[in-house]
Amino acid sequence: MTGTTRRDVLKAAVATGGAVGLSACLDIAGESDVPQGPDDPSTLPERQYAWGEHVRRDDAGNEQLPGHQVLLYLTLERDGVPTEGDREQVATAFDSLSRAYAWESEGLLWSAAYSPSYFDRYEEPLHDAVECPPPHALSPFEQPEFDDQDVLVHLASDNPDVVLRAEQALLGAEDGANGVTFEASLDGVASLADESVDRRTGFVGAGMPAERQADLEGIPEDGPVPDASPLFMGFKAGFAGNQATEDYVAIEEGPFAEGTTKHVSNIRQRLADWYDEQNFEERVMEMFSPKHAEEGWVEGVGTNLGDASRVDETLDDIEAQAREHGRIGHAQKAARANRDEAGNVRLLRRHFESADDGVASLHFPSLQQRMSEFDAVRAAMNGTDLTGVTPAVRQRVNNGILEYIFVVRRGNWVVPPRSKLALPRPR
Amino acid sequence: MRRRDLLAGAGGLAAAGLAGCAGLVTTEPAGAPPVLDDRPDAVYFPTHVEGMRMAGMGRAGSYRFALTYSYPHRFWNVNGREATLTEIASEDDVHLMTTVWDEETGQILPETGLSLEIQRDGELVSQEVIYPMLSQPMGFHYGANFGLDGDGSYEVTAAVGGVSTRRSGGFVGRFGDPASATISFDFSAAERDEIPFENTPDRAGERAAVEPMAMEGMPSGQARPADDLPGVVGEATSGDARFVVGVRDTPPEGIDGDGRYLYASVRTPYNAMVIPAMAMTASTGDFEGELTRTLDPELGYHYGAAVDTIGNVVGIEPTLPPQTARHEGYETAFMSFDPIEVTV
Repeated sequence: MTGTTRRDVLKAAVATGGAVGLSACLDIAGESDVPQGPDDPSTLPERQYAWGEHVRRDDAGNEQLPGHQVLLYLTLERDGVPTEGDREQVATAFDSLSRAYAWESEGLLWSAAYSPSYFDRYEEPLHDAVECPPPHALSPFEQPEFDDQDVLVHLASDNPDVVLRAEQALLGAEDGANGVTFEASLDGVASLADESVDRRTGFVGAGMPAERQADLEGIPEDGPVPDASPLFMGFKAGFAGNQATEDYVAIEEGPFAEGTTKHVSNIRQRLADWYDEQNFEERVMEMFSPKHAEEGWVEGVGTNLGDASRVDETLDDIEAQAREHGRIGHAQKAARANRDEAGNVRLLRRHFESADDGVASLHFPSLQQRMSEFDAVRAAMNGTDLTGVTPAVRQRVNNGILEYIFVVRRGNWVVPPRSKLALPRPR
Repeated sequence: MRRRDLLAGAGGLAAAGLAGCAGLVTTEPAGAPPVLDDRPDAVYFPTHVEGMRMAGMGRAGSYRFALTYSYPHRFWNVNGREATLTEIASEDDVHLMTTVWDEETGQILPETGLSLEIQRDGELVSQEVIYPMLSQPMGFHYGANFGLDGDGSYEVTAAVGGVSTRRSGGFVGRFGDPASATISFDFSAAERDEIPFENTPDRAGERAAVEPMAMEGMPSGQARPADDLPGVVGEATSGDARFVVGVRDTPPEGIDGDGRYLYASVRTPYNAMVIPAMAMTASTGDFEGELTRTLDPELGYHYGAAVDTIGNVVGIEPTLPPQTARHEGYETAFMSFDPIEVTV
């Protein structure tokens, strides 16, 4: 093990996964001492995405998402409509998982969501209080693959061994986790059909991207990602003031009330030109807005902004900024569509970074009441209108961060309320 | 990435060795003469001329793609009013160029997003949005320098974004969708080094341009000859670009507005390559406003507006230089413009 530090092993463990990843993790760090969950899982929040009160917050009150995350895209073994037996098995497995770990970021925050193609298994359509069409291309230049697996299980914890153990037990590779014997697993009902694309992992938090940047495809070799940055692009994101509340994204009525919709894209990052061709000011212009750079609002990774990015102050004269600076900011473009008439933010974004397959990427889950809200924000982020304002802003150049990000996959999901967690019917 | 650097380093040494004994015909990057000290603010003959080679062609829907390559070379990026030199990086192995056109009409797709993804044996080697560029022999294309993982077979996927430039006439409703084509590229440094490369000290800096290079099966980037355009009222030169100004009796289909249609077709001197992605305003009669970038089957890529009346004089004021990167010999031209006037 000469030359391999404890840190090296830990940082790759979640991506490696399985028994190998887990044992590497346990050998180095030992088992995390984490409280178990409640005996009665129905005492947990009805909203599966009720994470906000159970994660760490920074000094400014921004959510600090769990550091280690796994996305399991599961396919049902059976064609057609799931049986009552399938449903009971899944419910038992999920109950076991709920009992195994406390609902907090040191323990396990997780959710299960279902795709439009899952609901297509049923004769009756998805209840019309849920707006979640199949995924589609959301920019004039992307041609992503579409995720149409049945179930998306999202596991998140500050402890890497917790997400790995939870995954092992849930998929039936281990009998239990954290001292709780699983009375059932998903084995036989749902599985990873193609592990190379259906199991995705990631991380988020100050220092974690910098620790993982070496030898990662997409990141320049000189390691430009600042140690303080929670994301590869070198800035903080997800300021509390620029996020929807969990209340706002909740579906309001019907059988999926208190559920939500979840869009998840996987976005490859190519940051050579981001870091090599541009200076800090230019990066601030393209990430936030030209005004942010002009006024010097952003220091370092942007922690100084506190709990809001000030992007709302840059929207009224966005065209003038485009003309004057020949560039436009990612955050300001998107924000134009990310407010309702009363000024409420519409999307709750909970993205995290990935080094899967040795390539820098971003897993981008976004929660919203209606999927069309996500589509509208993405359309605004495309900035197509601004390419008409000045030829300096092009389809993908000088147009926010579009030059550096490549959407590889998109999927749309319904996150049911916890009471309908296991293979829900469409109505 | 480390492996690639080692290889690039070794290649660089070999090239330097060759340059010593091969005289005029040599290989990049060692052979590229320095940028001239006193370049005219105009099109000039570059310090050296390179050939290019076809890597392969592809097709997607109604689009054709051509992937060509040459030695890595320096170019100038244009953002706003500034042209900034991008030097060859040590890891660069090739300059890759892509042209995308509509098979039916031969119309080259300008000023949209174009990216290349390079894979080898299923592993990602690179992926970049590449820049719209102007070169003397080729005119408008998309290009960038890339580092590869040595000799071998690569799969290059070129992805073009749907065009957002205004379209008129038979182009209304066309070119709006993205498309991509994967082209196999067998790269060998030795083959690359057979691409003609000539230092041109005798002509460098002259007010002239390298001849257009025809590539079989690829449309040229040239603008339509003024004689073939409808209603031409005059021509003028500014910033070393030629503006062919014309008036159509009615706006082409797809363009709002009654009255007549004022347009400018802008091209390079000598080679008449289309100059896209500028901004300009015009004034004539009661009209004062922007000429909008537009793609039209009859007029080609042009800048136009519906106008109620045409006065005795058409004034055009370029407000932003063409936002395309430049190969050597174009980087000082088309950067600052005096207003022009054409008498009707």
